[in-house]
Amino acid sequence: MKKQSDLQPAPSSVFHCTVNGEDVQLRLPADKRLLAIIREDMELTGTKRSCEIGRCGACMVLIDGKPVNACLTMAYQCSGKAITTIEGLARPESLHPVQQAFLDEGGYQCGYCTPGMIISVTALLEDIPNPSEGEIEEALSGNLCRCTGYGGIVRAVKRAIDQRRERP
Amino acid sequence: MLLNRQSSGERWRARPDGPGKVTGALAYLTDRTAPDMLIGRVLRSPHPHAAILAIHAEKARALPGVHAVLTYRDVPGLNGYGIAVQDQPVLCVDRVRYVGDAVAAVAADTDAIADQALSLIEVEYRLLPIVESPAAALADGAPLLHGDGNILHRTDYKRGDVDVAFASCTHIVEEVYDSPRQMHTYMETEGGLFVPEKDGRLTVHSPTQHGFMDRLQLSRITGMPEERIRILSSPIGGSFGGKDELNVQPYGALLALKTNRPVKIHNSRKESVRAGLKRHPMVIAMKTGIDANGAILAHQVKITADTGPYATLGAEVLNFATEHALGPYRYGSVEVDSVSVYTNNGMSGEFRGFGGNQAIFALEGQMDRLADACGMDPWDFRLRNMRESDAPGPFGQPIAPTNGAKQAWDALEASSLWQERRQNESAATVLRSESSGGMKAPWLKTGIGAAFIMHGSGLGVGIPDPGGGRIKLAPDGKIEVQFGYEECGQGLLASLELMLIEQFGFAPEDLRLVIGDTDVVPNSGSTTASRATTMMWKSLQRLRPGFQKELLAAAAALLGLPEELLRLGRGGIWNSRAIGENRGNRGREADVEYADLAAAAGDMAGIDISGIADTGSGNAACKHGADVDVTEDTEERLLLTYRALAGKTPRPIVAETSFAFPASPFPRTGAHYLYTFAAVAVKAEVNTLTGRVRVLEQYHAVAAGPVVNPQGYLGQIEGGSIMALGYALTEEALMQQGQYATSNLDTYLIPTIADAAGEMAIEPIEELPEGDNYGPRGIGEIGSVGLAPAILAAVHDATGKRLNRLPIDPLQLAERPAFT
Repeated sequence: MKKQSDLQPAPSSVFHCTVNGEDVQLRLPADKRLLAIIREDMELTGTKRSCEIGRCGACMVLIDGKPVNACLTMAYQCSGKAITTIEGLARPESLHPVQQAFLDEGGYQCGYCTPGMIISVTALLEDIPNPSEGEIEEALSGNLCRCTGYGGIVRAVKRAIDQRRERP
Repeated sequence: MLLNRQSSGERWRARPDGPGKVTGALAYLTDRTAPDMLIGRVLRSPHPHAAILAIHAEKARALPGVHAVLTYRDVPGLNGYGIAVQDQPVLCVDRVRYVGDAVAAVAADTDAIADQALSLIEVEYRLLPIVESPAAALADGAPLLHGDGNILHRTDYKRGDVDVAFASCTHIVEEVYDSPRQMHTYMETEGGLFVPEKDGRLTVHSPTQHGFMDRLQLSRITGMPEERIRILSSPIGGSFGGKDELNVQPYGALLALKTNRPVKIHNSRKESVRAGLKRHPMVIAMKTGIDANGAILAHQVKITADTGPYATLGAEVLNFATEHALGPYRYGSVEVDSVSVYTNNGMSGEFRGFGGNQAIFALEGQMDRLADACGMDPWDFRLRNMRESDAPGPFGQPIAPTNGAKQAWDALEASSLWQERRQNESAATVLRSESSGGMKAPWLKTGIGAAFIMHGSGLGVGIPDPGGGRIKLAPDGKIEVQFGYEECGQGLLASLELMLIEQFGFAPEDLRLVIGDTDVVPNSGSTTASRATTMMWKSLQRLRPGFQKELLAAAAALLGLPEELLRLGRGGIWNSRAIGENRGNRGREADVEYADLAAAAGDMAGIDISGIADTGSGNAACKHGADVDVTEDTEERLLLTYRALAGKTPRPIVAETSFAFPASPFPRTGAHYLYTFAAVAVKAEVNTLTGRVRVLEQYHAVAAGPVVNPQGYLGQIEGGSIMALGYALTEEALMQQGQYATSNLDTYLIPTIADAAGEMAIEPIEELPEGDNYGPRGIGEIGSVGLAPAILAAVHDATGKRLNRLPIDPLQLAERPAFT
């Protein structure tokens, strides 16, 4: 068996994907975590690092529109995919409606879980525009928040739903 | 009136830090990087208790990409830290006392190299017997964890003679309450960026609740003078008391100084669990006796706290628990004996509620059992024994007069939830079998319970508790407000902004709020102990008259107008509202766009009383006011922008204040002067097949004076309460033989959105006694206290079972199903 000091990093490969609409070419080891790619290589720090085992949702991003924990995703799994981080939601002139709803309702406190939470809510409402309480709970059970007790978050989700209904 | 967005009206505002948080644009201190940055890592003890025989770091130092490997020999100053007592080694010398103890620190080019370097450090240990509980630590012949033994702190309080009083009691309740090791679980783990500056100073970007305390502690450790260290400490991705003490800062600072390179450390969750603070597990034995009328004659308490290997604030937490084991009640006689004990378990320390959570869980359990014993309703029993509004504090100390206990009691009594319980009770006596409702599954049982909370704020007698702040007109025309408090997420900046708008008349755009930088802010004490809101409010009260007068006097001189015709407003100095109002004219403040003002001020770079708010004639300039008779003016208008004033004023306009948090004139360390009260009612459902408890409905009455910031207030009570939900139902960082049995959030379960479902009503009681000038009381902690004992009361109401341990063990509630 090789000694640990002899171990070499995995050889890099090239992967193509889009991040927030821009074409990106990644030359990276195939097993590099998407969370590290986003935060360290791309310097997009809105995606947060917290548990790194896919439990807390602080690193949630959209891959082809589906919410995924970036800490559990490896570089090779991003090949050919469209990745959206929290930085990719807002338009230059306005917040994304879900972001606006969180701002209006105070659906955040320390803000560390907020990007991942907003990503999950965005994915939920794209999938189910008018979710039941049960569907909201299920969709957001993978996003932990320690500050708010989820009260403001639920109100923000409901506001986002209402506003979506008003101007579809 | 219940607190919500609708009832708050225009006071419900988007937070100043909100846009950065919802867009992800706000860089936390652990998001920061620097060119040529190294990665720092810490080697921690694998053993709960061992002697260090040797540390071999040569191989690690020789690994390419490693820039420093530090051991205890590399600590230039004090090899110890702790807010109160510096007994925790920065890097252990000859002994480790818990699995988080640091033995070496590494800085390397990458995380992978740092990780490999840690694996190359060889530490020879000789295992020592593990002291795994306070009982073991106090036993005869127990290994001594510190030179002066295994006891960190003892405290007691005695009034009257409980032994005599117990003899005349009609009912006596004895119970032992066991509370868990709760983890703060801030979503942002500990970390930061440590930058050696060209001039030899050190800049620390790392979350803490008291930047100046970190500066002092790092000064001791590095041997650098305090003023050579700059601490940047906000924003914080959650703390709850857990980041008040140093965590990674000593290692980051020493590695940066050693390598002369920026060093970043960001704990993994596993390392955070292993090394970080937790809430003290406490075993609280209570014996309480009442007479035939339900009056409490004697209350005896023994508290034993597991403080882990080192002091941090263990003594202060014990003092707080001792005080709060007495609560808002009257006693014929009292005896409390408390001890905080060193063990080889994880570190215990400061955590939201600060020992009150454990004490009140026990105390409220006693009150419910005593009510049972004498056949009284539990809420009536509390009223029977409630303190009077002019009564002294728990230790007999003078406190600020407060009617909060009665206010909170009344509010809960009137709540629909408690009325529902009263109806259930009267119904139950007649028709017990039908009262649980027709269609529900028979194994689901619901009940309603309540708890009563008296919580001290501030640090208490004998502990430096400074407050203060600074406000100035900055050269660029911003009103710059500087406080040494931190934004942990609680909404401190939003509260400050709202107070400045409401008290001074400024607009948000006029303001620059400066916190979290020891180079700039005054030392206004820690952001702990529910004190920051009170201190900011008081500071602004003290700053306002002088600062306002100076601004108006300077403006009056420049405008050639009498001061009394001027006032502060959006964008600058306005002619006084009084004139407009006297003449029955509508103010025009709302028509003014700040952008126009700023542009105008920029263009003219001077004094402008040209009527920017006027009809668009724009530049009908009447400079220096000589031609203007404002008293003849019919409408309010902006006369002079802050920017123009800043440009023209001959000397800086600045006001500063410093004072101390109000303390009781009483010779007992830690005794409090300001108290907040709350009452919590909860409806819970017990599934007797699984033993699981679900909270259906909550009501919180909080008597804490005026609501400074509605959104923040609501968030603190809701968030605190759900933290207590976890404390009651799922959270426990179990230890076995000094090792954490859980290492991450897959096995340490904080409430999810599904667990937190159910209605929650928050009712603030804002009225303070007449003449009370202490201002709004902090509410950062009190929401985290009451729900756990209230759930236990509801569980009893549902099942008839009295539990004495948190978190609730479902096995105690699960029943063998019986089909009839």
